[in-house]
Amino acid sequence: MDSDYRLTERPGLGMATIMARKGIQPAVIGAVLGFLPPDGPERAADARLALIGTGPGTWLALAETPEADWVTQLANKLNGLASVSDQSGSYVVLRIAGSGARETLQRGVFIDLHPAVFRSGSAATTVIEHIGVVLWQLDDVPTFEIATFRSFASNIRHWFELAAAS
Amino acid sequence: MRLPCPYCGQRDSREFVYRGDAAPTRPSSEEGMYDYVYLRDNVPGPMREHWYHAQGCRNWITVTRDTRTHRISAAVLAREDSR
Repeated sequence: MDSDYRLTERPGLGMATIMARKGIQPAVIGAVLGFLPPDGPERAADARLALIGTGPGTWLALAETPEADWVTQLANKLNGLASVSDQSGSYVVLRIAGSGARETLQRGVFIDLHPAVFRSGSAATTVIEHIGVVLWQLDDVPTFEIATFRSFASNIRHWFELAAAS
Repeated sequence: MRLPCPYCGQRDSREFVYRGDAAPTRPSSEEGMYDYVYLRDNVPGPMREHWYHAQGCRNWITVTRDTRTHRISAAVLAREDSR
């Protein structure tokens, strides 16, 4: 099989969870942020912030070049609309890119990654090797990224080594 | 078995925690608490039951499943489940 892919860590990202308050629709949060948060397991972004849908009214927010107080700024903007909590130290984001990325990842997840159903902009919260991951596809290279708990990152890396070798 | 999570889509049952029959409602007093906690019907056929999508969107869902065939006829977020 084609196992050509590159696995890299994406250090320095800012990460936070956003949980909408009861009855607050994504459009209301979108009006504050300047773009519509996905109302399903998808990714939406502007130049500064990406939002990954992880559940109804919940998102994982990623900032490419975070300022020191970006979470406080975000929380202030969404005051009364959503709870924002900093996750920058809790997750590691790994990027898997290349022609073999899809096939390798498919060995680890229970969901169908076929491009007909999982494409650029798609996201999923699921497990790889019993470890919780948030997974999304960035482009048609294909490039995927996964966010996983920092303390499990080495286990996930080990799994990728085994999956690529088999 | 795969369960149709209303948010995540079709997912393997291993991502979920099974709670059981969705019918019993918590009594407001100690009276009836034993029945609520311990006495369950063993329904042969379609049954509304609660599943928690622990390794996905972390939401409770109400699934209507035929216990004899595992055929699933409905799945909704428990918070939106009218009863």
